[in-house]
Amino acid sequence: MCSAEAVPVVACRQLVRRFGERRALDGVDLDVAAGETLVLTGGNGAGKTTLLRVLATVLRPHGGAVSVAGHDLPRHARAARPSIGYVGHEPLVYPSLTALENLQLYGELHAVQPGRCHEALAMVGLERRGNDRPADLSRGMRQRLALARAWLHRPALLLLDEPTAGLDADGREVLRAMLDQHAGAAVVATHEPDWFAGGRELRLTLGRVAG
Amino acid sequence: MEIGSRSARPDRATVAATAAAALMALALAMIFFYVPTDADQGYSQRIFYFHVPIAVTTYCLFAWGAVNAARYLWKRDESLDLKSYVPMHLGVIFGSLTLVTGSIWANISWNTWWFWGDTQLTTFLIIFLFNCAYFMLRFSVEAGERRSTYSAVYALLGVGLIPLSVLGVRFAQQNELIHPITFNSSGANMDGSMFLTFLVALAAMLLLAVTMYLVEMRGKRIDERVRQIRQLAEGRA
Amino acid sequence: MRAYRALLRKDLLLELRGRELVPAMLAFALGALLLVRFGLGGATQAGGTRAATGLLWVVVVFTSMLALVRSFAQEREHGIWDGILSAPIDRAAIWAARSTATLAFLIVTQAIALPLFWLFFLQDGNPPSLGVLVAALLLADLGVAMLGSLLAGLASQVHAREVLLPVLFLPFAVPLVTVAVRVSVGTISPQTGGSATLEGLGFLALYDTIFGLLGWALFEYVVED
Repeated sequence: MCSAEAVPVVACRQLVRRFGERRALDGVDLDVAAGETLVLTGGNGAGKTTLLRVLATVLRPHGGAVSVAGHDLPRHARAARPSIGYVGHEPLVYPSLTALENLQLYGELHAVQPGRCHEALAMVGLERRGNDRPADLSRGMRQRLALARAWLHRPALLLLDEPTAGLDADGREVLRAMLDQHAGAAVVATHEPDWFAGGRELRLTLGRVAG
Repeated sequence: MEIGSRSARPDRATVAATAAAALMALALAMIFFYVPTDADQGYSQRIFYFHVPIAVTTYCLFAWGAVNAARYLWKRDESLDLKSYVPMHLGVIFGSLTLVTGSIWANISWNTWWFWGDTQLTTFLIIFLFNCAYFMLRFSVEAGERRSTYSAVYALLGVGLIPLSVLGVRFAQQNELIHPITFNSSGANMDGSMFLTFLVALAAMLLLAVTMYLVEMRGKRIDERVRQIRQLAEGRA
Repeated sequence: MRAYRALLRKDLLLELRGRELVPAMLAFALGALLLVRFGLGGATQAGGTRAATGLLWVVVVFTSMLALVRSFAQEREHGIWDGILSAPIDRAAIWAARSTATLAFLIVTQAIALPLFWLFFLQDGNPPSLGVLVAALLLADLGVAMLGSLLAGLASQVHAREVLLPVLFLPFAVPLVTVAVRVSVGTISPQTGGSATLEGLGFLALYDTIFGLLGWALFEYVVED
């Protein structure tokens, strides 16, 4: 990992993102230091998912300044992408490819060693289900697959959108183990902030930082 | 907001409109009273001084729209989206006029309303089709950054389409060309007074387009202003 | 390059598993050829091989629409874009892979449809030069695949995408078909445009070059949000 003591992994200044006329993010300021876990809370429509998607470089910011791993978005988004591991609402996998094939595809896109895919499957407890398609997996197992996918390239920044959704007790153990191993920063959007007790909590309301 | 603080100095649209009106009057006078009647085609050839300037203006409008589309993708300034959309939109008006005047001329000289052997007319039809598609795309996407981006991308594809259409149609109709060649590599293929009239008519038509562009841009800006004010008012309420 | 190979393998694998496109394209092409056959006058063919060869190109364009409309369907329906777009790859690689996959589907379809065309229309009468026809088909397919993948990206984010894509594509198909018809019909004896064949194939190559460059440069703007 590169030395990131001075530069925060995530820095947002007056970040704005619109959807049509509506401002989903309306001037958000926040910093996430290396090794820190930021826990985003707030009701539905508060802007948590939008913020994570902007940080994941899949939504362009419309105003303000935002940088990830020291790279300004959107102009240097491509340089920031290797540092990002994103878990969204959907598992982001192809339904007609097997679990392993999906990981292998993402492995190639992230240019990781082919062995990592089996390793990642084992880590989330899916080593026997590698040849099953996502549709044949339970919801919780698909979520585990999503965790494995985001963890493949050992990102410096994990962006997790309601990662506990659908996870059973074992699944939560997997997530806990993953976060313990993770040395970098994390931004987690969740309705269960108590579960991420080690992190710093930040509440969003109507696209702004509350309080 | 500095509404009402405009100086007494006439704005660009007014200047352009006045100049366009004067030039247009001059062009009309020259077309009907000054320029000699064409030896081959007779009196009706005068439609040339409308048809060709309108066609050239259409190309210029599309070129301006495409330039602003590229600038939009580079700078992401929403006003550039308007500056790309308005010329495309005016281009349709001038393009339709080109098709109509061309068709009238075709009827007079070749006794047919539409002649597929004619490269220019067919090319224009392709461009017209492209424009309809541009508007379909624009109206299928919600206003915002995505609509601006998509419009710009499609407009830039048109830059590839126009030369390819000209080349392609010309290739497919080799030996069948009957469109009068007005210009060739050695310059204008007409005598001095005709060329002068043509130039005046072209300038008048271009200025007319510029005027329409400025007026429509002003209208769009006012719309935008009104929308912002309404938003502010709603915010206060 | 690694990303391109991985994405292409994925696109081909998806088609191999799902068999969504090629069988439908084949059935469509076959049906369209039959319609053309009857449209030209059933048993006694009006217009002869010239008209049939010209109409073959119309069938080619409409068949390719089927492949293009479903481009990026999985990414859209299952929300996979976020995963692909957050990967550190050149986004043009997504376009290049999709274009290559579409090209492959078109070639497979035509490899079966072209002999049928021969059987239906060219048994008697003078056929066009097979070499020129195949060369023109390959060049046209490449252009359709590259431009079509870009437009499919545009249309895929729009509500009425199945309707919009053909509308967006057809203006660009006109010069392509115009030249392709001229090239392939020109080789039917008695020949009308012998020396024009190379020139026409050159035009198709130019078409591919222009829209290849535009697609490569513009695709990034299409997928970002």
